[in-house]
Amino acid sequence: MKLPAEWLKEYCEINLTNEQIVTQLTMAGIECQLLDEPGEIFDISLTPNRADCYSVLGVSRELAALNNSKFKSNQNTQTTIDHNEEIEIKIESPKDCPVLVTRIINDIDVNTTTPSIITHRLNSSGIQSVNIIVDITNYVMLETGQPLHAYDLNSIDSKLIVRRGHDRENITLLDGSIKTVDQNYLLISDVTKPLGIAGIMGGEDSGIQTDTKNIVLESAYFNNETIMGKPRILNLHTESGLRFERGVDPSIQKYAIERASKLINEFSGGKNGPVISNTSSSEIPKRLPILLRKKRIHQILGITIPNNGIKEILTKLNMEIKEQDYGYSGWMVTPPLFRFDINQECDLIEELARLNGYDNIEEHNEQGEIKLKKISKRSKKINHINNLMLSLGYSEVINYSFISPLMSTLLGEHINTIDITNPLSIDMSIMRSSLLPGLLNNLSYNLKRQHRTIKLFESGKVFKNVNKTNQEAEMLAGIGYGLRMDEQWITKLETINFYDIKGDLEHFFASLKINTTIQYNQSTHPMLCPGRTAAINLDGNTIGHIGELSPELCMDLELSEQPILFEIDKEVLRLSQKIIHHEQTYFPSSRRDISIIISEEQEISEIIKVINTLNIEGLKNIIVFDVYKGEKIETGRISIALGLIFQNKSRTLTDDEIDTNISKITKKILKKFNLKLRVE
Amino acid sequence: MTINLSDLLNDALNEIEECKTLNKLEEIRVKYLGKKGQITSQLKKLGSMKADQRPSFGQEINNIKNQIEAKVNTKKIELKKSTIAKNIATRSIDITLPGRKTLAGSMHPITTTLSDIENIFLNAGFLVEDGPEIEDEHHNFTALNIPENHPARAMHDTFYFNNNLLLRTHTSPVQIRSMEKQGVPIKIIAPGKVFRRDSDLTHIPMFHQIEGLVIDQGINFTHLKGILHQFIDCFFEQQMELRFRPSYFPFTEPSAEVDILSEDGKWLEILGCGMVHPKVLDLLELDSETYTGYAFGMGVERLAMLKHEIKDIRLFYDNDLDFLEQFK
Repeated sequence: MKLPAEWLKEYCEINLTNEQIVTQLTMAGIECQLLDEPGEIFDISLTPNRADCYSVLGVSRELAALNNSKFKSNQNTQTTIDHNEEIEIKIESPKDCPVLVTRIINDIDVNTTTPSIITHRLNSSGIQSVNIIVDITNYVMLETGQPLHAYDLNSIDSKLIVRRGHDRENITLLDGSIKTVDQNYLLISDVTKPLGIAGIMGGEDSGIQTDTKNIVLESAYFNNETIMGKPRILNLHTESGLRFERGVDPSIQKYAIERASKLINEFSGGKNGPVISNTSSSEIPKRLPILLRKKRIHQILGITIPNNGIKEILTKLNMEIKEQDYGYSGWMVTPPLFRFDINQECDLIEELARLNGYDNIEEHNEQGEIKLKKISKRSKKINHINNLMLSLGYSEVINYSFISPLMSTLLGEHINTIDITNPLSIDMSIMRSSLLPGLLNNLSYNLKRQHRTIKLFESGKVFKNVNKTNQEAEMLAGIGYGLRMDEQWITKLETINFYDIKGDLEHFFASLKINTTIQYNQSTHPMLCPGRTAAINLDGNTIGHIGELSPELCMDLELSEQPILFEIDKEVLRLSQKIIHHEQTYFPSSRRDISIIISEEQEISEIIKVINTLNIEGLKNIIVFDVYKGEKIETGRISIALGLIFQNKSRTLTDDEIDTNISKITKKILKKFNLKLRVE
Repeated sequence: MTINLSDLLNDALNEIEECKTLNKLEEIRVKYLGKKGQITSQLKKLGSMKADQRPSFGQEINNIKNQIEAKVNTKKIELKKSTIAKNIATRSIDITLPGRKTLAGSMHPITTTLSDIENIFLNAGFLVEDGPEIEDEHHNFTALNIPENHPARAMHDTFYFNNNLLLRTHTSPVQIRSMEKQGVPIKIIAPGKVFRRDSDLTHIPMFHQIEGLVIDQGINFTHLKGILHQFIDCFFEQQMELRFRPSYFPFTEPSAEVDILSEDGKWLEILGCGMVHPKVLDLLELDSETYTGYAFGMGVERLAMLKHEIKDIRLFYDNDLDFLEQFK
């Protein structure tokens, strides 16, 4: 809300510069800044609780309280009554509209120019001038906080009816939009048609026209709970709706209509009818007395405000105070009608803190026993994983959790995605069920910026609808693309391939002490290349995938190399409870190499597995140190070389022992896989 | 067979003198002094000699042997020195050439900022809690004293799913879930992603928050001010000037915003806080008369931007390596 400084100062006698007022209001919870140009306008951002400040009058009242100065609450609103004409009113639901004040003014001059004092103030407040009548209703709204509406009397059929909407009732509004409403909305209508959505916006047909002569002014108090939320649902954020849904002072309707009549008479002429008030007293919101206990003030704020200080603050804020003997210090406090935000003791305590100044509350340390707490498993795991990824050369990215339908379909049609019903755009409408599409985006983005070595990882949640319930799972995913290392004189230019990234994962799983239980099985994945994709299995469950990007996607993204991607379910991963030290052995190890020729189809891991099942004592490690295909090897077959490392923990192994073991091993695998041993 | 011993000595000394390598020197040594060397074989003759000849011959041959040995040793030292010198002279490298660089990764600045903040609060005995990102209306709004249609909901433009679920608009639901789980007293922080249906130069639809909640007997506003001032000083690693000003959140009363004074003299809003509204505790059936507490919440992006002088919030989610690698 923008308000000209001079207008505010008209209502309260304070001797402060505009800058001082800005600081004072801001420090009282009414966030305010001075607009750079022309420096005479306050731009006020009100929190939703401070409905009472949505006007010149409201802000001035606050300023007066803050400065202990005089507040001129009323302008002279004496008007004449020139005739007895009145509009018939029917209020179907008094709960929605406890107060409705109307007045007919005849023979106005609608085409007279609005005086510059009004247009200037309206413009400063960001409101365009329309015509004299609309300008005056807006002006009075800004001044008093009471939204007013003016109807062309001729457009009203018989009477004004305040009623709830009918099912799927359509209404064309002043701004030309057509809205469909129902019983949840309060309407103003006549006997044949709706005239407007109460408290939010008037209808197109009943507004002030260039030939309007006679008008009906309406000044109402609509129950804020009736209006609440409606502007947002209708997407009609009007000045009127804003005020009504937060709460308008239910005692100022008459004053506002008189004030408007007075201005109309002054600038546009007209003959006034009587001010007709329809009031359902029982439905007007009441402010009930609240018990305020001195000890509770100290309990919440940690400071002691003397009794007279408390009473002074509350009195400045127009609250009624009744002292009573409760056996402890306390007061019954009744807030003014316009303070919709004060309903409980804590609300009063906030007012005390606010007026006393938050600056006057000290800073203390909590007193209590010192208790050390262990680092949570969650934090430990996050740190461990992040540090490990970093040391493997991955840079962390964070992507939005929502992706486009196109990206989502990359993950296959069968996935039950979770769709946002009100997305910002279609490109951000589906909750990601995998981190991989995001990483592909990051790859494209960085390739366009001419990066040649790209290793990225992301840690975050994915979302799936499984059996009609939403499931969130924390995942870890990575992508490697391009050069293994940045181009440099000392290193050959080599491209990242499947085994680079698999090696990273092996490091990763080794750090979690599960490398030996993890298995990689040929598998498929909608985004990955068949034949170059593995499912990562732990204890018989697939916990993730690793593979080369599918050739289709490589082509679509115009990639010259194949990125390698992986994604792992982070929730199943556990940091090993504690690391148990094994005594190091100092007995020398011996190595024997064997070379075998196997079918290309044969998975080497199978051979190693078979060797391991022999449970040979002292066989410490098996390394695959060469895989060869080509000359001297018949097609369809490859040569692999294994280095077998033997070491005993308590003695040096003899050559004979090792030779015996080697022959056991070769015999087993030759028989099992029908292989040839390559003669060394 | 007679051999002129002095010729033998001269030959040996000459050969040693002219020898250029340690290997050659060893060959020479073996040739003369080895098991089958010429000097050694002369010595073997001693046994077959007449007794009267033995002493003089023996003395002479030993003398020659010693001379050769001494010469070999001197030459060995000389050759070693020259070999090392030659080695050093030829093996010099350009130490200004760049070294071999493997890849070094970088953490996202948001992750780093989050863990910086977490660590500060861990020191004060807070526990870290987390919760779901897809939330229900109850935990995100109702339990926090934000009833349906309340204008405060407009402060949170919300992404919705079917069946009344939504993307959490703050991490406050974690506070509710934690209190449901463990009751009070409680001392937690809840970091995580939050979502608002908002996108422009200064707003992005997903960002990170850390919220804190402390509830116990005897907790009041002075403690809230104390901990937040200390936190801000720790985070920015310097004494900061700050101000608490009244604000409004439905779940705290009194509520405050905290501003820090920037170098150019402007107040910058960095977090919201307040004393937990008794209604929030009442809704959880906790004793709001005995227990009081405070809550605070801050935008992690905003803090990271202030710390690293990042001007555009959208940079965090472009994931440009030129940006990310600055935070190595």
